[in-house]
Amino acid sequence: MEWNRREFIVKPMVVAGTARMLGRTESLLSKLAVGSGPLLERTLGKTGLKMPVVSMGVMNADIPGLVRRSYELGIRHFDTAAGYQGGRNEEMVGSVIKELGVRDKVIIATKQHLRDRPANPAEARRRFMEGVEASLRRLQMDHVEILYYHGVDEVEDARAEGPLEALQALKKDGKARFIGLSTHRTSMILPEAMRQDMFDVFLVTLNYTMAHDTEMLNAVERAAKSGIGIVAMKTQAGGTVKPDPKLPRELPPASQTALLKWALNHDFVTTAIPGYSTYQHLDQDFSVARNLDYTAEEKAFLADESFVSQAEFCQQCGKCVADCPMHADVPRLMRAQMYAAQYRNAGLARDTMAGIASGRGLEACDGCESCTLTCRNSVNIARKIAQLRAMAGNHAC
Amino acid sequence: MHLWRSGLIIAFIGVLGISGCHYSLAAAQGSDSAEKQVRRLVNDPLPAGVKRDEAAVLYKPDNLYEYIDGGADIYLLYDFQRLLHQNLKSGDGELTVDIYDMGKAENGFGMYAAERSPRYTFIRLGVEGYRGEGTLNFVQGRYYVKLAATGAKAGAGLEPMARMLSRRIGGTAQAPALLAKLPGENRVAHSEQFVRRDPLGHAFLAPAYVVGYAWAGKGESKLVVSVAEDAARAKARLDQFARHFKQSGECAPAADLGENGIRGKNSFEGRVIARTQGRYLIALLNPPEQGAEILKRTAQGLQ
Repeated sequence: MEWNRREFIVKPMVVAGTARMLGRTESLLSKLAVGSGPLLERTLGKTGLKMPVVSMGVMNADIPGLVRRSYELGIRHFDTAAGYQGGRNEEMVGSVIKELGVRDKVIIATKQHLRDRPANPAEARRRFMEGVEASLRRLQMDHVEILYYHGVDEVEDARAEGPLEALQALKKDGKARFIGLSTHRTSMILPEAMRQDMFDVFLVTLNYTMAHDTEMLNAVERAAKSGIGIVAMKTQAGGTVKPDPKLPRELPPASQTALLKWALNHDFVTTAIPGYSTYQHLDQDFSVARNLDYTAEEKAFLADESFVSQAEFCQQCGKCVADCPMHADVPRLMRAQMYAAQYRNAGLARDTMAGIASGRGLEACDGCESCTLTCRNSVNIARKIAQLRAMAGNHAC
Repeated sequence: MHLWRSGLIIAFIGVLGISGCHYSLAAAQGSDSAEKQVRRLVNDPLPAGVKRDEAAVLYKPDNLYEYIDGGADIYLLYDFQRLLHQNLKSGDGELTVDIYDMGKAENGFGMYAAERSPRYTFIRLGVEGYRGEGTLNFVQGRYYVKLAATGAKAGAGLEPMARMLSRRIGGTAQAPALLAKLPGENRVAHSEQFVRRDPLGHAFLAPAYVVGYAWAGKGESKLVVSVAEDAARAKARLDQFARHFKQSGECAPAADLGENGIRGKNSFEGRVIARTQGRYLIALLNPPEQGAEILKRTAQGLQ
């Protein structure tokens, strides 16, 4: 069965079945990784760089053996950043690649970030370039294949003269074969970045929690169609690594491969950079690299009604609106809450709320003592509205 | 299943609340005492020549990403609690002070050690500290402090500011006690680490202490002490470690190494010798000829 991003929203309840979860056997995971058949490879837009669909996000792993094993299995694209472990991550990647003697066989991506925005573009350019030179020294390389402007989450950063000039100069000097940016605020940043007409690659957050966000998905698709290579990050929705005691239950192992496949089943994505930090998870993630068809367990996970309810994923069906005595525009409020709380995109949350008809936004809820709305998909509407109200009060959106 | 991978639901829950919100210090008034403590560290008076530039910003686990993007992941692994980010003026330049409150001294050391390299230029400050070009980082108690200077003469403010912060943090400046029990001979200075999650790429070994040893002209080894709740669980960890090597290479019992000794190797981690000592699993990666003796001495130290 083929699933695409739009069907994912609709099908979870259709594909019923017992969510028999994969066991946690190490042997099974080992078999998964080695697998059989050719690795699925894709080309990164107009860069022409060809790579397996699964790459390594090295950020969480200060473990040389894990990089060696990743290379051994067939991974060729390694993604690091100046900011990971204060540069030690780059040092580790560089020393392993040198030790393996495979510099000409791998694609190295690193990222440079300017934490404080220097007002003077020349100063920003200088700092950016110095940062990249330091990265190259740590990597023990004279160039990287991909150099990203790291964490561009504000439009003013996407337009920032200094870093953009630095990126172009570094490309011209051969210190970066291709240049790109990474962002968590795709819908907002990609159109602006495309206007700059200088980027070769975008590194974007893409996971199934965004399945309904057609604006974001269309923005990525447009970029890909224009020849920009798309690398997906946070594909397993690892927006946080902090264990939460409120978790009702742990996710099954099949969830991780299901989520990775979901991202990679978008043809416009060239590769994903899961940030595994154990051999077990490397095996698990790399098992996806030969076959993107969902297994029965993965389908069951994606269709798991209890999971969907735990995730409290508003499907924008709008059936709750008729039940609200104040006629609040609940779907838009849910979207605004998601943008503010989940995507941490206060601007988009504000814009969404601004688009709500007068009297049907949070002010409608203010006139109601207790929300009694019941969601068909188990979204706790009252709690989310309370969160949205709190965030708006804190000027977080 | 390892919790890191449980991120999907966590992504929904963990970011709820007031993520995306910067807290000015003024707004933090009346919040918990830990926030007040970290705020006091950068109160006036400041060292001569250093002036406050703007209000401090407090980041929490929910919004640390806004400041350091993906670099936040590892801080969260070490139970990051809050970050006080303060911009200052020093000379004609800028001085940035970042004070990461990691909740516990062990986590502060772990996070600091994850970012430092034995090759850095170390200074006597707190538990340990080092200077780089325009930077000075140190760890003391639960705080991991990072200072950065940019612009003309701003670097001159680094050390006075760092020493002032160290005095204000106070307390005893000691590395985690277990590290002192490990062999000192041939130890690579400033290589000690406390690894909270996935030491050496194995979730089941966590938490663990890792120390480097160098053998003149014969490479380096990593000594790993994995701390389990009791001897039975340490043995279970060792069994899992042995299974991993059997599946990925080879592994055999080695009675000469002591309690539950094993020898293993594979193509990507190299050779390893390991044993247990009570609640500890002790492993030596890339062991030298005298590896067995090092394991024995480590075990004795941990008795």
